[in-house]
Amino acid sequence: MTDAAASLPADGMAGSAANGDDERLAYRSIFQRLFIRPEVGAVIGAIGVWTFFWAVSGTFGTAGGSWGWIDIVASSLGIMAVAVSVLMIGGEFDLSSGAMTGATAMLTVFIVKETGELGGLGLPMSVSLLLGLAVALGIGWLNGTMVERTGQPSFIITLATFFSLKGLKLGLANRFVGQIQVASTEEASDYDFWRPIFAGEWERNTHQLEARDFFYTSLPLLGFTILVLAVAELWFARRSTPNTAGMIQFLVGLAFGVAGVGLMHGTDGTGGNVLSAAVITVGVLIGLHGYCQWRFEPLVDRGTIQFDATLRNRLALGIVLVVIGGAVAMVIDSSSEAQFVFPFTVQGIRAIVSVGLMVTGLGLLAMVSQAALSINAATKFVVTTALASGVLLVAAVVFLDSESAKFRASLFTILLAGALIVFAWGLVVSRFEERRFVDRGADRSGYIMMIVGVLSILAGIAFRLLFVTEAELLADIPPTKTSVRVLWFLAFTSVMVWMLARTKFGGWTFAVGGNKEAARQVGVPAGRTKTQLFMIVSFAAWLVGVLVAFRINSIQANTGDGKEFEYIIAAVVGGCLLTGGYGSAAGGAIGAMIMAMPLIGISAARWNTDWRFLFLGVILLVAVVSNRYLRLKAEALRR
Amino acid sequence: MTKKFRWLAALLAIVLFAASCGDDSDDTTDDAGDDAGDEAVDQTQGGDLTFHIITHSDDGPFWSVVKRGAEAAAADLGVTVVWKPGVNDANVMVQDIEAAVSEGTNGIGASLPDPAALVGPLQDAVANGIPVITLNSGSNDYQDIGALTHVGQTEVVAGNGAGLRFNAAGATKVLCAQQEQGNVGLTERCDGLAESFDGEVVTAFMGLDADTAEQQNTINATLAADPDIDGILGVGPVITMSALRAAEDLGRDVTIGGFDMTPDLLAAIEAGDVAFTVDQQQYLQGYLTVLFLYLNVTNQNTVGGGLPVLTGPGFVTPDNAAAVVALSEQGTR
Repeated sequence: MTDAAASLPADGMAGSAANGDDERLAYRSIFQRLFIRPEVGAVIGAIGVWTFFWAVSGTFGTAGGSWGWIDIVASSLGIMAVAVSVLMIGGEFDLSSGAMTGATAMLTVFIVKETGELGGLGLPMSVSLLLGLAVALGIGWLNGTMVERTGQPSFIITLATFFSLKGLKLGLANRFVGQIQVASTEEASDYDFWRPIFAGEWERNTHQLEARDFFYTSLPLLGFTILVLAVAELWFARRSTPNTAGMIQFLVGLAFGVAGVGLMHGTDGTGGNVLSAAVITVGVLIGLHGYCQWRFEPLVDRGTIQFDATLRNRLALGIVLVVIGGAVAMVIDSSSEAQFVFPFTVQGIRAIVSVGLMVTGLGLLAMVSQAALSINAATKFVVTTALASGVLLVAAVVFLDSESAKFRASLFTILLAGALIVFAWGLVVSRFEERRFVDRGADRSGYIMMIVGVLSILAGIAFRLLFVTEAELLADIPPTKTSVRVLWFLAFTSVMVWMLARTKFGGWTFAVGGNKEAARQVGVPAGRTKTQLFMIVSFAAWLVGVLVAFRINSIQANTGDGKEFEYIIAAVVGGCLLTGGYGSAAGGAIGAMIMAMPLIGISAARWNTDWRFLFLGVILLVAVVSNRYLRLKAEALRR
Repeated sequence: MTKKFRWLAALLAIVLFAASCGDDSDDTTDDAGDDAGDEAVDQTQGGDLTFHIITHSDDGPFWSVVKRGAEAAAADLGVTVVWKPGVNDANVMVQDIEAAVSEGTNGIGASLPDPAALVGPLQDAVANGIPVITLNSGSNDYQDIGALTHVGQTEVVAGNGAGLRFNAAGATKVLCAQQEQGNVGLTERCDGLAESFDGEVVTAFMGLDADTAEQQNTINATLAADPDIDGILGVGPVITMSALRAAEDLGRDVTIGGFDMTPDLLAAIEAGDVAFTVDQQQYLQGYLTVLFLYLNVTNQNTVGGGLPVLTGPGFVTPDNAAAVVALSEQGTR
């Protein structure tokens, strides 16, 4: 076992010992609970891929670039990936899902068209949508029933459906309109009513909001604050009676933080920034400490600093690596494109060596700080302070030696904030009692705070993506559009996540995917559940088909063909197991994002698009291997 | 009965003789004309010439236009055309070619989607004295076969034509957007564009036709990343429409050209949003193949002087779009 894992179960074991009676109720720390979620690998991967393309391209991080990959996710890939994930958790595949998107779209257009032999029914869109939905659900029902009745693998049954649909699409299109393309949706009498619902658009450049940057700054900051407090809520043991002095301290810290942010907005220039950063730092430290003082049990025995030999060596090695990495970055010429060793240039070597050394060093320090937790609080504090200093050093290197304004501003700020949070966290962890028992009340409020925090961050980002400021308009930024498709994607994903997590049907889905016969024996209607899962996929295909039909008003017979594997890849990248019984709907959505980002990123970076499939292949491989690793770790934790 | 038999034998003799002489010897051609000229004219007046058009047609929208061209020529000339769609199966085509030879056809028009499988049987047909013309695909192999000529469009020449259009529009940097990766034909279109276009050409794969959202967003990102691009050539009709939507979203003034035709692309050209689309005028591929075979059999004419006869690039522009739309509804464009 590796060190990270060795240190983690230490907490888990202590917890089960304290709890004693039922191992399923054994206490797990918040990080362990996040760690065993199936989508954790995908979240880390998505952040990594985003950061990579943000770093290498000029337009990927802008509103235009963001809406680009979000639209690919929202228009087809995301909705289907979520549905296919749910089906995969239920232990089945649907290879007809791609062709079905085109089939439902084509059917919708056929029904509303006025011309063409037989094809032109000329019915209103409302009727067409309902008929299309009925047919789609029928195909899903057929898929499910065939799989159930024949006992054949769904891989084969839905492959047959795939070919049938593909043939039907081509055949009917040629038969009725003499073209492999079917146009046009706008012939429907009530087209104007449905268009905003399925293809409504939002033009960013016509929505000016001068207060945008206020929301863009304050909402994410608020969100991060709430997130940190949520983790504290989940991590520490509550006091029996709240401490009023602590609450006052918390409010003072909050006031400092708000004042600091306000100061940063109000001033320009380095002096003002440094001052406001200092004010914010004080605010964070006082505020977090105050919050903990107010609500949590202080730690009585902090112990004395003690290191064993391994810990000390690793600590030293970590610091040395970070320092050497920083030195390499400072010493080697960052602009030299001279060849060093094929295929690397001098600047390439510099980037690889320095980043590699610094990341390894920080990783070592993080591992040591995990391990130090099991020694005592005082040691933990020293080690986290070392880690925070390491991050600070990296931030300094970035600030001093980076050419691009993007890195100097954004990356530097993020690293600075990271160092601050690590330090503040080390401070409170060493001063307050860790909760090693189950507290449902604290868990619930912690989770609600987490959700509020994440939503607040997303809302802040949404303000940035949806509105322009006058300054941007004056700088002539290109127009950017988004559409109501994003809302459909979010709605569908939310419903699926809720369904899997909160409903009986969700539980049945996991059960039939894990072991169908066992599920049946405990009373789960296995056949019906699987058929309904197929119908969820065909519903999603109908939705995507309608979105496509409204988007381009004409449908090509091959629409969606061959995309079914991309949906499955997205589900696997998102943490679903091909064998069923494990995975998450949100993971499928994040997997779709990981798949979509390189499509836009490679173009934004102006690289040759030939590389995109290599990228997808590498992502798939890395995702499968790391998801497997994380899952095995998670299962070890559960025991 | 005997009279008819003799008559058939004479016909066969003419065909064999004519085809084996081909285009190399004027003297023998003259002799053949002298020997059998009168009878041949009689036969064609009776409409007894039969030509087999054996292609990889799937009878889709593209090939149905080729078929109408061949049928129109048959009606105009008073000959019989047997249309044999191979539906992308070279095996079926080989069988059809062999059957046509043994039925004693007067001429074969064939496409070459799979030269390795089809060159041999067509060489056999030529050796049996049957005139052969390749159409649509086969511009690299028609000489090996000994075919009279090739009737079609070469992708490079089509790309050349598009490049000249972009020059005329004053474009300086053109994105050649492909909807398939590693398709030789599409790459040749982009190579042809780069040959004749004065500015810079960026060739890139922009996503499959099966996902137009992906195409549109990828093109959008490419345009946003490179402000110098002021022209896009979509090498298929679907990706051309995706390019139009991407340019409209960005509000960029970009000259857009495309390949082939769909109803929405024709509508966009008519509206002036797309500058042109390259049309390979496949109606000609059907019509001219039959006409050239007829002229060869009846009059010993050869067309092309050993070079292919190009049916494209024809262009559909805002000027002629309305007329082309009307003609495509009749099924001849």
